[in-house]
Amino acid sequence: MRQALAAEWTKLRTVSSAAWLVVAVVGCTVLLGSAMTASVDTSQCPSPASCQEDTVRLVLAGVWVGQVAVVVMAVLAVTNEYDTGMIQTTLAATPRRGTVLLAKAAVVTATVLAGGTAGVIGSLAAGRAILPGNGFTEANGYPPLSVTDEPTLRAAGGTVLYLGLVALLGLGLGAAVRDTAGALLGVLTLLYVAPVVAALVGDPAWQARLQKVAPMTAGLAIQATRGLERLPIGPWAGLGVLAAWAGTAMLLGAVVLQVRDA
Amino acid sequence: MGRLLLAEWTKLASVPRWVAAIVAAVVLTVLVGLLGAASSTSDANRHWDFAVGPDGRSVRDDFHLAHRPLAGDGSVTARVASQAGLVGELQDRARAGVILKEGLEPGSRYAAMMVTPGHGVRFQANFADEVAGGGTGARWLRLTRFGSVVDGYESADGTAWRRVGTVDLAGLPSTVQVGLFVASPDAVQVTRQFGSVGIGGHPTAATATFDNVRVEPAGSPPGASWTDRDVGRPALEGDATERAGGFTVSGSGDLAVVPPEDDVVRLSLTGVLVGLMAVVGLGVLSITSEYKRGMIRTTFAASPRRGRVLAAKALVLGGATFVAGLVACLAAFLLAQPTLRANGYGPPAFPRASLADGPVLRAVIGSAAVLALVAVLGLAAGAILRRSAGAITAVILLLVLPQLVAAALPVSAGRWLQRLTPSAGFAIQQTVERGLCLPEDGCFPEGPWLGFGVLCAYVAVALAVAFWLLRRRDA
Repeated sequence: MRQALAAEWTKLRTVSSAAWLVVAVVGCTVLLGSAMTASVDTSQCPSPASCQEDTVRLVLAGVWVGQVAVVVMAVLAVTNEYDTGMIQTTLAATPRRGTVLLAKAAVVTATVLAGGTAGVIGSLAAGRAILPGNGFTEANGYPPLSVTDEPTLRAAGGTVLYLGLVALLGLGLGAAVRDTAGALLGVLTLLYVAPVVAALVGDPAWQARLQKVAPMTAGLAIQATRGLERLPIGPWAGLGVLAAWAGTAMLLGAVVLQVRDA
Repeated sequence: MGRLLLAEWTKLASVPRWVAAIVAAVVLTVLVGLLGAASSTSDANRHWDFAVGPDGRSVRDDFHLAHRPLAGDGSVTARVASQAGLVGELQDRARAGVILKEGLEPGSRYAAMMVTPGHGVRFQANFADEVAGGGTGARWLRLTRFGSVVDGYESADGTAWRRVGTVDLAGLPSTVQVGLFVASPDAVQVTRQFGSVGIGGHPTAATATFDNVRVEPAGSPPGASWTDRDVGRPALEGDATERAGGFTVSGSGDLAVVPPEDDVVRLSLTGVLVGLMAVVGLGVLSITSEYKRGMIRTTFAASPRRGRVLAAKALVLGGATFVAGLVACLAAFLLAQPTLRANGYGPPAFPRASLADGPVLRAVIGSAAVLALVAVLGLAAGAILRRSAGAITAVILLLVLPQLVAAALPVSAGRWLQRLTPSAGFAIQQTVERGLCLPEDGCFPEGPWLGFGVLCAYVAVALAVAFWLLRRRDA
């Protein structure tokens, strides 16, 4: 296992796209989070205190874009090997295919968790700088963001976990589909199209049902710190839904890897 | 060029995966449309309680009216001296003016000249035809009846009159009601937090003073006198008092077609969003796979004019996806409509949508065109980036993410995203004007064509960049 891990780490480290993708995870998360935070202020509410804005969720919204880089990295980690034929060398060196998949998952997830942590910390720092200027001040009932707050810590840590689970989802589907375009389209459809379609369905009960099972809307419930009772699904339960998606994808990938010729 | 088109068509049709992608786009579009229709229900018809207008549509015909009968031809003139809010602030669409109405029952035909604080002087007839006046600051309003034709005039000083609008109310009875009316629609407030929205509303009332009120001929019918009443059921009761040569009228309500709560055509075309994903993949792969396998060098060796190759690819790809998209959108629309009607999306709250209506046809054909444009956008992105992963990600980020983000941001910021990103193209699916236009409902305030034009512009720019890069770079 240690050798497999070392091999996967070398493969990931020596591909220039991986480094760029980590930069993209951090950069997109921080930049989009800052842009969205900057566009929301208290002037649209009758009074600043009545805004009830979930500033933590707002600041961390950059992962909506940051997760794309995670998906690309995770999918390419598998499908690139099939594209180039490298997978045959890999499996010749490590014939236990389950070990290969586990090692890939460990290396990619660890990288994503590191990048995600940097992105989340950057977003929180940016939020602390931007929010007071938009009226979200302590006097108006919005204390500065701090990870010593239990809900803020849960949202921030949960966001990092969210990115890790998204990586597993991409990796699993990549191993199952073995095709860059197909796997990428599948994951992006699950993540992005499901919530858009859910919003357009005309029945609130079905909207809530779809939001409960769609991996992105369910998983990002972990970011909520206000109005938890109005969420379609609780924070940890939502992350659990995403974990179920990721687990299923990994299982599917493992089965396909075991059963099919490479 | 003919041979190039044939070559590209052969490439497209002979790869089973690409044919499968087109079939998948059709199936996904239809299937998701049907599932969306099956999981949508509306109880709007259960509490639908509006008057029926002259053309059969549901209308709000609620206002306070100071009126008297008028027999035969004649005119009614008044100056709106002031208009002010009585309950709540004065609304942009609060109306005060002169009206000539067939009868006092709600939904009956009428013509009216009115002053609105936000939209100037307007001529309105039968809830539908609305013409804006030209003069600024015109406060004098006049309606004249000649036979069945009613003309509306405005004037700034009461001597120089300008005609604003005209309507032929065929079969108008000889005695009609003329008078002064005031209406003020509900105030609607949208409060939005990040990712959730609250919509609140409350009734308002406005008051207006009229002077220089004149009905000519004054004695027709003999003994006609002024009275006042609420027409329809305005949310707040109105009132009218007569002073020397003038009236003060206060009232609530609106004269307008009631907008449907949802767009049944767009609802049945929801699947396009999912079918789109397959189309993006097809568009991108149709060029990146040539790069991956080195096929592109053979292609360029066979036809060295690279611009033509790109054009042929775009034509074949766009044509094929347009035809497939048209089949998919027609099927989705036709199959979803009965389900939607069975789920409560029927008349009167949701007027029946038929392919014979211009907007419906525009939405169906337009959705197919959006699919074709997206395929070409994918092709251009693939030619620019040469990598499937990057191109697919870029196109999907541009098309789908803005819709998610727009729904979460404040309404004004969300609308800019709806205008400026390629996702604006989905505006073509819109067939009705809603009362409250929010990004999360897939509503585009600028109407269908602007957004479609934005998508076309993106595709044109992307193709131009791809063309330039193809000629400049080694294959």
